[in-house]
Amino acid sequence: MNTTRRAFLKASTIASAGLILWIDSPKSSASPASPIFAPNAYISITPDNTVRLWVTRSEMGQGVRTVLPMMLAEELEADWSTIQLEQAMPGGQFKGIRLRTSGSGSTEGTYKVMRQAGATAREMLIAAAAANWNVPPAACHAAKGTIVHTSTGRSLTYGALAISAAQQTPSDNPPLKDPKDFRLIGKPIKRSDSHAIVTGRATYGLDVQREGMLYAVVARCPYIGGKAVSFDDRAALRIAGVRQVVAVKTGIATGVAVVADNTWAAIKGRDALQVKWDPGPHRDFDSTRFLQEQESALKAESEGFFVRNDGDARQALASAAKRLKAVYEFPFQAHAPVEPMNCVADVRPNSCEIWVPTQCPEVALAETAKMLGLPEDAVKIHVTLLGGGFGRRLFADYVPEAVEVSRAAGRPVQVVWTRSDDMQNGFFHPSDIEQITGGLDTTGQPIAWLQRSVGSDLSMFGLPTEEEKKDRQHYFKDGSPWGSFDNPYNFPHLKADFIPINSPVPTGPWRAVEYPPTVFARESFIDEMAHAAGRDPLEFRLHLLAPGDVLQVGTAKIDRSRLIRVLQTVAEKAKWGTPLPSTNSYIKKEAGPDTTRQWGRGIACNVYDGGSFMAQVAEVSVGRELRDIRVHRIICATDCGLAINPAGIAGQAESGVIWGLSATLHGKIDFKNGAAVQENFRDFEVVRMNEAPEIETYIVPSDHPPGGFGETAVPCVAPAVANAIFAATGKRIRRLPITPEKLQS
Amino acid sequence: MSTFVLSVNGIQHHITADPDMPLLWALRDLLHLTGTKYGCGIGACGACTVHQDGKAVRSCQVTLSTTTGKQYTTIEGLSSDGTHPCQKAWIEEDVSQCGYCQVGMIMEAASLVRNKSKITNDEIDAALSDHVCRCGTYQRVRRAVLSSCAGSCGDAGKADEAGAGA
Repeated sequence: MNTTRRAFLKASTIASAGLILWIDSPKSSASPASPIFAPNAYISITPDNTVRLWVTRSEMGQGVRTVLPMMLAEELEADWSTIQLEQAMPGGQFKGIRLRTSGSGSTEGTYKVMRQAGATAREMLIAAAAANWNVPPAACHAAKGTIVHTSTGRSLTYGALAISAAQQTPSDNPPLKDPKDFRLIGKPIKRSDSHAIVTGRATYGLDVQREGMLYAVVARCPYIGGKAVSFDDRAALRIAGVRQVVAVKTGIATGVAVVADNTWAAIKGRDALQVKWDPGPHRDFDSTRFLQEQESALKAESEGFFVRNDGDARQALASAAKRLKAVYEFPFQAHAPVEPMNCVADVRPNSCEIWVPTQCPEVALAETAKMLGLPEDAVKIHVTLLGGGFGRRLFADYVPEAVEVSRAAGRPVQVVWTRSDDMQNGFFHPSDIEQITGGLDTTGQPIAWLQRSVGSDLSMFGLPTEEEKKDRQHYFKDGSPWGSFDNPYNFPHLKADFIPINSPVPTGPWRAVEYPPTVFARESFIDEMAHAAGRDPLEFRLHLLAPGDVLQVGTAKIDRSRLIRVLQTVAEKAKWGTPLPSTNSYIKKEAGPDTTRQWGRGIACNVYDGGSFMAQVAEVSVGRELRDIRVHRIICATDCGLAINPAGIAGQAESGVIWGLSATLHGKIDFKNGAAVQENFRDFEVVRMNEAPEIETYIVPSDHPPGGFGETAVPCVAPAVANAIFAATGKRIRRLPITPEKLQS
Repeated sequence: MSTFVLSVNGIQHHITADPDMPLLWALRDLLHLTGTKYGCGIGACGACTVHQDGKAVRSCQVTLSTTTGKQYTTIEGLSSDGTHPCQKAWIEEDVSQCGYCQVGMIMEAASLVRNKSKITNDEIDAALSDHVCRCGTYQRVRRAVLSSCAGSCGDAGKADEAGAGA
């Protein structure tokens, strides 16, 4: 079966399976010692009136521990202020239920299931109360953790009903609430873990401490694809606190682990270790040269893999009155979550327990069991909070190495990645070159669009098989590279292809997966075409989206009317077309606009996976002699379908903007001599407080199903800023990051 | 190995450790105060910020050998129950996303607003631009700092350094 990347990121193992019911599970009322009403994997209610809701996605800042419980609690009619959250573990009651957290799919992928799970439990509680009062269920209703007999007002708590509710028959198809009666869905709800976070009590992977636990730091091969040949551990073992030195054969960069009583001793021990490395076959790899190779590949005469082919773009281009061509560059990028990779493993003779901040607990479980030759039910994976994920933690490479070290030490061990371990041993966003050629007719109408992407395939999904390669129409038909395949604009002749050139660098999904490079190019070039045609970039886009019909590409349906609406909304809120500098700053009130600088606005838009629509306007200024770039304000308008938690949407818009802006102004990883150059937050710069723009988010009301939103804001930022810089200075920067040096040259 | 008396949150801890050990690891691994976070180890991200005699410092840049006679406060000692004005403002402004860097920013902010009745954006930029938040919560951090100062900076100063177990 050909599993496309999109399918991999989006597939939900429960989509068609419906609810799995556990009335007779070991934790259910069958056990008289601890009677529990657990009508499904997501809810349990005990007679002491404790309502527990299980969260089946990893919390990495995107708010799943707020929004998933909101959907459950809405239908359950639970009292939001008293619910207890539990984090799901792979296997056991969650066997067959997706826990993997990716592709902005958590809300979208669980909306129906969460509501049905809540409603099933609610109906069983109502039935139990009705039986208790000997009244029809229709005479009762649920409210704030109680069932109320509507006419008399008498009530029973969920706890009081737990035992009898467990004896009711669950419905496969419980009635769902009318959206007009929603108490939680659609209301801004603050994050559930805030108090634990601000008091330092929230437990991330690095905060797990087990009885007798040792700490390990791994000397990792500094060359991509290299390995340790031999090591001398004598000096390391002389460091106070160092217990053991262990060769590590698993993981992304193999090496030698120093096991110690505390992290500092392990770090010192690693520093004292003498390791002889075999640099392997890629010791000369250089990312600057690789980008040049990627650019040279643009000239390939043969077709790449077809991404999309509407009309006859080459023919149309040949007949165009005006032709434009531009090349855009996107460098390698690191995820660099502030909590580096880490894992605690406790390997016992016939079992193993893992505590890990991961986006893929199922993979962690399967790999651990396989490695130890244990059945999966002998392995427990505890998913802690994640100090950022952004796609890096979709790889479980840091789990097997901890298992290896714990097995050797015979104790629970926490493997700690230092910042440079993390920065230099990632699954990076691959570098990418995009070339777009466009044609306008004699009246300035856009008629042709050719986009060629030269990138590396994201290695976790694998390259096309030889069989698939024969069918160039086939492999990418369902959606890669995103952003070029689902180009929303209405060109009569549009062609997009993709030439994969792989480097030895391990690559993988980064926030917004494949959209950032393709959308940077696409939205910059639309701007270039608009200027070439002498038209306003907003009006030009609206023209290209008219009449607001639905575009079907692959399995994606893109409703252009929704994109038009967010463009119009953002333009109105940003006062598009009015003079700058603006004075509508709402935070930095005392800071008046500096009129000695050159100011400009830029606009960009994108559709994330057909479900979430985003338009952004950036307001920037550039200092005298192009010495510095300041991004003052970014206004976002979105239609992401039903906004389950508008507070979460605003937070993710802000977060996505800062993420995108870091890559726009600073972020990149260079490789020289087969190794990553940047190693910490000094040389891998990110946007900080002093550079953070004001961000406004406007949510267009929508009856469409909820779309994903963890990544939606990211791709528009670079083109909106680049377009604004062009508006301010007349300079077009096509290679990220955008720096004053590039502006001056 | 040397023996130190380390004063954290009003409690004197007698510990035996490498004098070069950064305070960060002593807090986390020896005293099990894991609220203080590791992010970079070189003083470039601010995640490990604690108070040394009331002033924000990077605990990854303070070695145990220099801690004698100084009073340290970590997030566990900022308030006993999350009621420091900065913590309250952080919850009110719904600042946290993944939350990992927030403790460091709260400690920085608590030191910044101490004994101040008014704070400017420039002061916020100066103090908090040494912190990294990959979730990009800066705008909400700014609002929270402004409101915690507007709220009750006198109390902020008093609550600070009170010491959870003192």
